Amino acid sequence: MEGTAAPMSAEPQTGVVDMMLNMGPQHPATHGVFRMVLSIDGERVVGVRPHIGYLHRGSEKLSEHESYGQVITLFDRLDYVSNLNNELVFARAAEELMGVEAPERAQYIRTILCELNRVASHLLFIGTYALDVGAMTPVMYTFRERERVQNLFEHVTGARMMHNYFRIGGVKEDVPGDFAERVRSVVRHLREGVEETDRLLTFNEVYLARTRGVGVISAADAVSCGLTGPCLRGSGVAYDVRKAYPYEVYDRLEFDVPVGEFGDCWDRYWVRLQECYESLRMTEQALEQMPDGLVMAPGRRIARPPKGEAYAHAENPRGDIGVFLVSDGTDKPYRVKVRPPSFCNLVGLERMMDGAYVADAVAILGSLDIVLGEVDR
Amino acid sequence: MSEQERPSGEESAAQAEQPAPRPHRGPPIETADETLSERGEATAKRLAAALGADAVAAGGRGETPWARVEPSALERTLRRCRDDDALRFDMLHCLLAVDYVERIELDYVLASVAHNRKAIIKVDLPPDAPSAPTATHLWQAAAWYEREAHDLFGVVFDGNDDLAPLLLFEGFEGRPGLKSFPLHEYEEY
Amino acid sequence: MIDVRDVLYVAVGLFALFNGLMVVTLSLVWLERKFLGRLQGRVGPTRVGPFGLLQAVADAVKLLMKEDVSPGPAARVIFYAAPLLVFVPGFVVWLTIPFARDLAVRNLELGIFFFIAFSVLSIVGLVLAGWSSASKYAALGGFRSAAQLVSYEIPIIMTLLAVVVVAGTMNIAEVVEAQASAPYAALLPLAAAVFLLAGIAEVGRTPFDIYFAESEVVGGPFVEYSGAHWAVFFLAEYVNTFVIAALMALLFLGGWRWPFGADLPPAAGVALVLAKTYAVVLVIFWLRATYPRLRIDQLMSLGWKALIPLSFAAVLIAAAQQFYGWPVWSLTVLSVAILAVPAVLQVRLQRQPAMERARRYARRAIAERARGTGEAVR
Repeated sequence: MEGTAAPMSAEPQTGVVDMMLNMGPQHPATHGVFRMVLSIDGERVVGVRPHIGYLHRGSEKLSEHESYGQVITLFDRLDYVSNLNNELVFARAAEELMGVEAPERAQYIRTILCELNRVASHLLFIGTYALDVGAMTPVMYTFRERERVQNLFEHVTGARMMHNYFRIGGVKEDVPGDFAERVRSVVRHLREGVEETDRLLTFNEVYLARTRGVGVISAADAVSCGLTGPCLRGSGVAYDVRKAYPYEVYDRLEFDVPVGEFGDCWDRYWVRLQECYESLRMTEQALEQMPDGLVMAPGRRIARPPKGEAYAHAENPRGDIGVFLVSDGTDKPYRVKVRPPSFCNLVGLERMMDGAYVADAVAILGSLDIVLGEVDR
Repeated sequence: MSEQERPSGEESAAQAEQPAPRPHRGPPIETADETLSERGEATAKRLAAALGADAVAAGGRGETPWARVEPSALERTLRRCRDDDALRFDMLHCLLAVDYVERIELDYVLASVAHNRKAIIKVDLPPDAPSAPTATHLWQAAAWYEREAHDLFGVVFDGNDDLAPLLLFEGFEGRPGLKSFPLHEYEEY
Repeated sequence: MIDVRDVLYVAVGLFALFNGLMVVTLSLVWLERKFLGRLQGRVGPTRVGPFGLLQAVADAVKLLMKEDVSPGPAARVIFYAAPLLVFVPGFVVWLTIPFARDLAVRNLELGIFFFIAFSVLSIVGLVLAGWSSASKYAALGGFRSAAQLVSYEIPIIMTLLAVVVVAGTMNIAEVVEAQASAPYAALLPLAAAVFLLAGIAEVGRTPFDIYFAESEVVGGPFVEYSGAHWAVFFLAEYVNTFVIAALMALLFLGGWRWPFGADLPPAAGVALVLAKTYAVVLVIFWLRATYPRLRIDQLMSLGWKALIPLSFAAVLIAAAQQFYGWPVWSLTVLSVAILAVPAVLQVRLQRQPAMERARRYARRAIAERARGTGEAVR
């Protein structure tokens, strides 16, 4: 078994030697530049060592040299498929530090956009995950639906991905006049699109065979490893920042927190799928409730928070994203620390790989839904 | 399992098979009757009671109180935070280092999934040879955070024998998280 | 005594066959892209030529013009020979596959045996390709292909044997002639189903595309190939798919003989065979659009625990019917009776609430893992 690490001995080495398989950083199933070194015995994985950092751009260090408003653009580039959720958490940390609160309308706009962003991100996950386990059709369906959200975002923020739309104390500008109408149409189409993928994939025999009972992690291990978001909820723990520490307008919306049962890959997928429906539900409710009014808190345009520190966190599609912000009273943050959910979810990888096959390794990694921009920062 | 209806327009045969979202199966969520800052105050009280004299300073805002402890008391403080019934901080939410030049501060952001509470344990380390006991035996999540803090700030975690570079490549010189590390003026290779 | 005309006929036949197969391959590539596109809410290729018809040609030209790279530590001779070892068997079996009664390069008396003998050979090419590439992914893919193809060769052989027993001949043209009244898919539904499944596994198409699984072993044995050599593998995959589909059409769907009888003109017979073949190909593509990929251990247990016993049952039924001289319809009855067992089980499973079914899968997989099964893959 441990042929590679066996000490020199008088006996000739005739045992089985594990093969080291270097998966990544260039591998179609590692979602970017993640790398894991698998020790495999035949098709069985007996050890895994993850390596990250290929995309380390020093975002935290860079943030210390940008003014508060500019840091938001760096946060766009952390988790590049749920940009708005990232912007939100930094804006909230700075707001907490400065003691301002975004006007109600801005909070509703942020909530609606974040929830649509969540659906878009989950759709990307569902498509690529199906691709990981070998199904090629769902990715076409989900990308088609995701495009609707991207188009809406382009209409509202002017950009498809790096929006730079949320501001400390509100949003950049009010939404266009046909916002409500377009959101309703997008929500209607998305619901149909998600259901289409759902019908094709969720209870597909082969899909069940590939994902059920694979990558199981117990609730206790999941909490100890710091898993959050769908990965934690897949293990049956109903921890959701939107419920546990309501922010923005989530306390006024009615939604369920879907949780899994076994903590396997399929449960993590299922939780995300149900979250799509929940997010669409929330979007509709928020749209109904959205008042008129300001979209930016009145005050100085240049943020210069008082000395102090703040920790804000929010529910990102990947989990609980946190920002620890230290201010020294200047217009640039003294220290910005991101708690990246994908980074923490990866800690659970070793546990989940217990007894997996090589093919499972791909399915397990896919089910964590990592985005390397955020893991490496 | 309650038969909640998933909200959706049309009910087709395939859809009728769709399961309702499983109900909340986790610990009780203590959000019903208190605001977040009230919860923070309550957490602060529990924290003060659990730490006793170990807490040399305390404060906080919103739902996140903090307490500062000496490095020598860090290990038992963290253990108490995790095991104390009133606190039950079962998740190491975040571990970060801040370089204040005259000291390096470690912040352990703890979260309790069981009670929905958060708190920060702070500890000051000397900047020349920062070292702290490891928390990997308390939370598995600590492993990577400690590697990261070692990478970027040079904090040594006693008892963690795997402090290999995580975000930086092997052989990278310097501690880029420190304020003394330049942003631009260095040779990458 | 060698007749010159005979040799000439074979030479011309081979030439025509080779070029015909190229056209077929290009058509399959185009068809797959277009058909999958339509299934997935896309339009497929539209730019190159009318309806994107020349897309496959453009792809081929691109591949041929690419630089042919081989890894430094590769065993060069084997590395370059392996594509041929995969392609040649897939091509050679066409020698004996007839498109109409007398339209074959050689109507061999042992045609089915010839097919079996040559189709097994491509395993060697895949394993050698995987081994000689000096890449771990390629090696892993090579081992997988060996395990997969050897396992699925058995059900193919056994189901073909059932056909041979009933038809009383190994000459493919005569097998087709024997299906004048009813295609063997009706007489031997069990053998037909097993043959199609095992055949898809044999050519490695989704959900059995395990040995070159793109997201796991990144192309398996082909990972280090590029340019023209990769194109040969690509070609072989489509030619093999077409072989399986053609055999399905000829041996089980009645070829040119059914349903229009013997008085069909040869051209119409060829068209009928091709139509049936392309229909089977479309089914194979359809499966690809619907299903994810199985895992190697699941593939193995499907092969050894389901398909091989079923294929043996098919042979036994055929043999018993011939030996005791039972009426022909008894074949169908017995096959359906055996097929009914898994069908009923499946229907019962499907009638459960979906969530309950998903739970069963999880419990079973977790229990299996706890027992540590799957060691056979080692």
